[in-house]
Amino acid sequence: MLLTFILQGHPEALPINPIARWEGVFPVIESLHICGFTLLVGTIAILDFRLMGIFLRAQPVWRLARELSKWIWLGLIIQLITGPYLFSGDPREYLAVTAFRTKMILFAVALVYHFTVVRQATVPTEISTPLGWRRPAGALSLCLWVAVLLSGLWIGNL
Amino acid sequence: MLFNFCHWLSQTPFSVWLREAPYPYPVLLIIHVITIAVFGGMVAMGNLRVLGLAMRSVPVSQVIGQFRPWKWTAFVVLLITGLLVTASDPIEYYGNVMFWISNALLVVAGVNAMIFYFGAYRSVSNWDTDVTTPSGARRWAATSLTLWVVLIFAGRAIAFF
Repeated sequence: MLLTFILQGHPEALPINPIARWEGVFPVIESLHICGFTLLVGTIAILDFRLMGIFLRAQPVWRLARELSKWIWLGLIIQLITGPYLFSGDPREYLAVTAFRTKMILFAVALVYHFTVVRQATVPTEISTPLGWRRPAGALSLCLWVAVLLSGLWIGNL
Repeated sequence: MLFNFCHWLSQTPFSVWLREAPYPYPVLLIIHVITIAVFGGMVAMGNLRVLGLAMRSVPVSQVIGQFRPWKWTAFVVLLITGLLVTASDPIEYYGNVMFWISNALLVVAGVNAMIFYFGAYRSVSNWDTDVTTPSGARRWAATSLTLWVVLIFAGRAIAFF
């Protein structure tokens, strides 16, 4: 009850939450959210392409992963702030949308996959890393993140 | 003249189909935005490398050179999907100020990229592995990064106006 009040304000009053109160706030936060996933998914995609052996083959996998890591984290932090705030504008509406629930599940799966399988694929090695199983691992990572974006963008279409 | 063209285009069966069928518009827009993530990631890392902030152990020419064919591929996808989205409702976009601002920003970003490629980048062999690149190159990279971020905001705002 209190949470609903904080997020949405009194039903008859203008909402306290800026995103529910002024229509101009939503596109601005959403633009930040687009910048965030560009950083998050765009840098993960670079790592995935490397794992698939598509480019930067002269660079050791582990070193590239280490260098991209802080940008992946920055993207993730932006998403963890802007995402819940977009959600706060109309929580009940979002929860009722299948695309939203699908997106959250895929997002969780993609994150777990990134911090387990992709991390394992990018552990430092003394000699150059043979790709082998890392190719399909990178391809699956890319597919998972594209699926997150696909379901996330579909929310706006409903 | 341009308005007459937009008017004619909007009457074509193809434009009507793009506009009125349930799937073309959202599918095109989704492909457009997913491609932005892939394109934007490579642009951001390229710019941040020149600024000495990302991928420091990779030579500048490798970051720029290895990403180039993939950036161009993504750009072509962005161009095609963007043109098709525009063709779905040309009169609406013709009258949308943010549409024109976005396109102007795109041209400026393109010219800015050329200025780097035919300017500061020509001497890259002298500073390829440096973390601190020449000030001209850093100024260019900061301008480029700013332009692309502003373009994301302006592009999103097209739907708001």
